Order: sequence, then structure tokens, then C-alpha cells
Amino acid sequence: MDFSRVRLDAEQQEFLGEVRAFVAEHVTEEVLAEERQTGSGFNARVHLALGEKGWIMPAWPAERGGAGLDPVRVQLLDLVTRRSGMPTVTLGTTRLVVKAVERYAEPGLAAEVLPGIAAGTVRCCLGYTEPDGGSDIAAAKTRAVSDGDEWVVNGSKIFTTGAQNCQYAFLITRTDPELPKHRGLTMFLVPLGSDGVEIQGIRTFGGERTNIVYYSDVRISDRYRLGGVNDGWTVLRGPLDEEHNFGQKGSAVQIGETSLGATYVYPLQRALDSALTWACTTTRPDGSRPVDDRSVRYRLGRVAMDLQAGLMTPGPMGRVKASDALVHGAAELMDLVGAAALLSEGSPGAEAGGPVEFAHRFAQGTATYGGTVEVFRQMIAQHVLGLPRPAYPGSKVLVSNKR
Amino acid sequence: MGGLLVDEFELCYADYSLSSDQEAVRDAFADFFRHECPSERVRAAEPLGYDEKLWRQLADMGAASMGLPEQAGGDGAALVDLLLVAEEAGAALAPVPFVEHVAASRALASAVPGGLLADAATGRRILALAMEPAGTRSRQLVPGGAVARGVLALDGDTLALVEADEPPSPVANQGSTPLAWWNLAGGRRQRLAEGPSAEALYRRARAEWKLLTAAALTGLTERALGIAVEFAKTRETMGVPIGSLQGVSFPLADVAIGVSGARNMVRRAGWMLEHEPEEARPLVPAAFAYAARVATHGTTTAAHMQGGLGFTIEADASLYFLRAKGWSLLGGDPAEDVIAVADALAADYR
Repeated sequence: MDFSRVRLDAEQQEFLGEVRAFVAEHVTEEVLAEERQTGSGFNARVHLALGEKGWIMPAWPAERGGAGLDPVRVQLLDLVTRRSGMPTVTLGTTRLVVKAVERYAEPGLAAEVLPGIAAGTVRCCLGYTEPDGGSDIAAAKTRAVSDGDEWVVNGSKIFTTGAQNCQYAFLITRTDPELPKHRGLTMFLVPLGSDGVEIQGIRTFGGERTNIVYYSDVRISDRYRLGGVNDGWTVLRGPLDEEHNFGQKGSAVQIGETSLGATYVYPLQRALDSALTWACTTTRPDGSRPVDDRSVRYRLGRVAMDLQAGLMTPGPMGRVKASDALVHGAAELMDLVGAAALLSEGSPGAEAGGPVEFAHRFAQGTATYGGTVEVFRQMIAQHVLGLPRPAYPGSKVLVSNKR
Repeated sequence: MGGLLVDEFELCYADYSLSSDQEAVRDAFADFFRHECPSERVRAAEPLGYDEKLWRQLADMGAASMGLPEQAGGDGAALVDLLLVAEEAGAALAPVPFVEHVAASRALASAVPGGLLADAATGRRILALAMEPAGTRSRQLVPGGAVARGVLALDGDTLALVEADEPPSPVANQGSTPLAWWNLAGGRRQRLAEGPSAEALYRRARAEWKLLTAAALTGLTERALGIAVEFAKTRETMGVPIGSLQGVSFPLADVAIGVSGARNMVRRAGWMLEHEPEEARPLVPAAFAYAARVATHGTTTAAHMQGGLGFTIEADASLYFLRAKGWSLLGGDPAEDVIAVADALAADYR
């Protein structure tokens, strides 16, 4: 057990300084404003600058395009860049795909893709969810049909965030509808420049841009297949487990929180900071400040307590707790600040509420990203508590395909 | 912001793992309570909530003294180690005044190094802690007060040990814990400290009591959850185990989420209180209030998931439910702790 401050040695201090200097130079007000506007989770200039540093795959050795960073430096880099508000969505999805490419891509494809990923010129997005499938990824109906040395892909994927900035989609397809649900799937790394790929933007009320991607008779060479035909679930499970944080131990050096939802807590921290500033500096007509009122302090304390619980609840359980803390906490802070909390960031008088207003909208998506909180509750029930799996008609067999 | 928002917060280790020594402590006490404290023994100790033989056995294992400094006959155990013991005691609903005695005797050892502790270190003389300053009310309910012969109290700016030859009569209560009214204004007393140091000692003792209680509540909630999970695995409805229904499994998953978070918060708060007390100011009350809420919600859920059966006094779930409030409220309204979290944070904004 250890919660002490990390005592960095001189070289690590120097590295921290380097990361902060990078952030100051590249994650500028303009970049942040652009991100607020576009919500794309990606900035090409910043991403390429990261690549130049070797910081997209920071643990990789320099000859592979990385920076050869040790685990402490990797975590320092991660914390400082994420805290800066640097757009990281596409960086995150790209990194999730790397392991599957390393392990399952044929050597020619790996050689084509991996150096570009490290340099920042190649980005990957996740083609999992389908418009009528939700979090049940294994129910994928997007078809890939073999045709000589090629595959023909037809179907559509939704919430392919970052597709407009990516070169490849890590796509799950159905290659054999007759096999049991999880057995008839095959993974591909589909070049998004292929004929028949159409990307349409979707905006969320959390301010993000995501996409629906249509695949219409998209022909791709068999070399873009990852893993065996009909063995896609095995290929997918690695990145999925990493996203869900099941079946792996934390790294030896744990700096920062173990909660899988720790990043969801950042907007709540900013909102609480803003609400505390409001409570301590606003004067009411009777001359008192909101913070003088015990009921206001109780409500602020509740939000802070749940925020800490969101940070400290471990792993996948923390993902649910952090999302709940953000959803309920942001709504509570809205009420507390009052009508001024409705004002958009940058509007006159919005000082008190800007980050609160954002958190309240953004919060709702965190209950869905990477699998809904209900999916996680089901996993916790089965894998943590050992409760029996529910027996639904479609849990093993792709019933919906028989329509 | 009290360590909550500043960048440096995240340049901290977040290592919740136990050392092999800590695991050994936890396992030894878990074994002890599993063998010595089945629910029959908990019931047999009602309504007083004190099993003298169990307390003596526990003291023989060193539980009463392990948290005292070595010169006072203890092992100088860290607060976190004591939290591990409290968690196991809580899981077993052990009818022993471990929390009160440890919090009070550690404060006494800090106030008067080398003195007054002889019979307390062996657990033969049980000590307790008055949870409110004595000046506010001359008579107050003292947790463990029905078995204690000494109560540590803050009276004005004096930290005093109020003594009695025999503990006052127990008062019946929801959680079957040895509660008694103590008159702290009168009686025989020894002055232990004066002024700011008295207040600091008292504040620290209260914080330790709260964390030990929070740890006990976490153990209590996890065991109640375990009972409900076993029930949900075997009880069937419409041909399936009820635990496969999400109307049952999701509430239970929420209890598991609460328990895992409360445990980490309580242990971290205990570590911080010992190593970086300034940083612990918002975390200690947050950990207590959260553990109290998780216990109330968790034992309510655990009892309810067993339907009418969980509502009967024959069900062990009832023992857990009644103690969730029965223990957590002894430190006062948890809303005061929630307000204390905000106070600690707001201090940085003024």
C-alpha cells in the first residue's frame, strides 16, 4: 500500500518538464477551442507532433518509432497529456488496435501499418456497434463474403468515432451466419479509403462527433484479415478485455487511479471546482455567500464524496461508479448553481456554470461508452459475484439473423 | 483543493495492495472469526452485544495491543493493519468492543506515553471514546460504554479519562451493541492533555474511530452481500435461479461496486491519516460517510433480495441489516461528515 507522492529523480523531472513543455506548445487554447467546436477527439497537428516525439507508442523502442519510455514515464505522459484536455479519442482507439495487428496481421500488413501508427500518419477506429445491435457486439450482422482472394463487405456500423480522421477501421463482420453467434465472426482491418465506404457524421449532445459508416460492396484483399476466418471473437477479445479491464492485472507501478472510469471523473472535477469557486465568491442579496449555507455545503460534499468514490473504486466497478458519480453529480451541481448553470461556456455570466453545463451534457455518454453500465453490471454479476448468466434466446445463437 | 483537483494529486502512487505481512494479519483474523464467531455466537451475545470470552480470545491474539506503541506493550501496528482486523470483525459481526477500545487506547498512549495503559493493553480494562465533546451534553451515549471502565472525553479544552469502577447499565438498541449513558461532567477523571494538543488528540481519536467503524461496516456489507448472492444462486423462480434475473443481479452488482469502493477509500484514508494527515482532511469523512451509505443500502438490498425470508429474524441477513445503522450512527449523523468534506475543500477557495 502506498499513496505517497511520486518522488521523481532528476531525469524523470526533466521528462515531466518535457511533457509539460510539449503540452504548452501544442495543446493550445486554439486546439481546445477547436475541439469544443468539432468534438472530434482528434487534432492532426497535435497527433503528428506526438508521433514525432515517439509518444504515440511511447514504450516502443526508437527503431520502431517509439520513445523507449519506461512504465513510470509512460504514465506521466498519459496523465499530463490527458489532464491538459488534449483530444485523445482517436489516439486511444488506435492504441487498442495495435495489439491485434501485432499478433494477428500477416507480416506485410503489419509492416505497412505499424510504422505509420507510431508516426501518427495512420490512425484506427473501432467498427463494432451496429445501428440495431447496441452493446451486443457479437450480434454483428455486417457481412463479409469470400470472393477468390478478396472479401466483399456489406453492412453498417454506428459510433465509429474518429472514422473521418482514420485510415483503417478495426471491423467485426459475420462470415458464417450458420455457426453459433460468437463463432461465425471474422475481424478485418478495412482501409477506409476503399470504394463503397461512406462516412456520415453524427453529433451527440455531449458535444462529440461520431459517425455511422456504411459499407456497400466494399472489396478488400484477404491480407487485411486479422486472425482466422470465423475466429474473430478471439481477435476482438484482447482489445475488448483491455477496454473493459477484465482479466489483466494493473502494471507494477500504479501512478494515478485504478478506476477504469477515472477519466470520466475529470469533467466532474472541473465542474466541482467551478461550483466551489461560485459558492465561495458569490454574494447573495442578504450579503451571505452560498457556502455559508449548510445545505449548500452538504450538496457540494455529496458530489465530492462520490467523485472520490469514482476515482477509488477499482477496475470495471470503478467504470460504473465514476459514470454514476458524474451523471448524478453534474445534475446536482446544475441545480445548485441555478439558472446561470444553463449558460454556455463563454456567454456573459457563464463563469459559474460553464464546466458544470458541459459536465451535465457530457456525463450521459459515459454511461454508454465501451459498453453500457448495464453491460458492466452484468459482467460484475457474473465474473465478480459468480451469479448465473441469464438464459436469453439470443445469448448463444444469432436468432435475429433468422428473420 | 485539498488534493482533489491539483495536478499533483495524480502524481501519487495508487497502490492498494497489501504486503504479505498484512495479508497474514488479515488471514489470521479472518480464520479466527470464521471458527470462533459463527452467527449463533452473535445471537447468543444479544442483546448486550458483548461476548467476554471472545474478547479475551481476541486480546490473546494481540488485537487489543497491536496498535499501541512498543514501549506501551504493543506492536506499533499501522492504522491500516487495524483496519484489516476491523473489517474481519465487522464481517463476522463480532460482539467485541474492538473499535472503541483501539481508538481510545491509542489516544491514551499518545497523550500519556508509558502510563495508564497496563490493563488496557491486555484488554482487561476496556476503554471507549465519547463521540461528542463532553461540554455539549453532560450525559451522552457512549459506544462500547456498557462494557468500558474508562471513557476518553474532550471537556472544554481538556482531554480527560473519565473512570468508573463498573460500567453503567446497558441500554437496549437496534444494533445490539453495548451502548450506555455516561455522565462525563462528573465522576472520577484524569486530565491527559490541555489546549490545542488535547483537541488534536481527540480529533485524531475520532477520526480513527470513524475509519475503524467504516472498515467494520465494509466487512459487514460484503458478508451480507455474500449471503444474498448464495441465496440468489440457489433460489429458483420460473425455472431459473433468481440470480440470473437482472432485477436481482444488478442491485447486487451495485452493492459489490459500493463495497469495493468503500474498502479502497477507507484504507487509503487510513494510510493518509498516518502519513499525510493534511491531505486526509477531506478523505477521512468522505470514506466514513460513503461506507455508512454503502452499508445501509447494501444490507437493505441483501435482506430484500431474500424476500420475506430476509425480513425474518431467523435470517442472518437481519443481523447485518440491524447493525448497519446500529454501528454507523454511533458517530452521529453522517451528513455532518459530508459537510466536513465540503469544509475541507472550501478552505482552499476562501
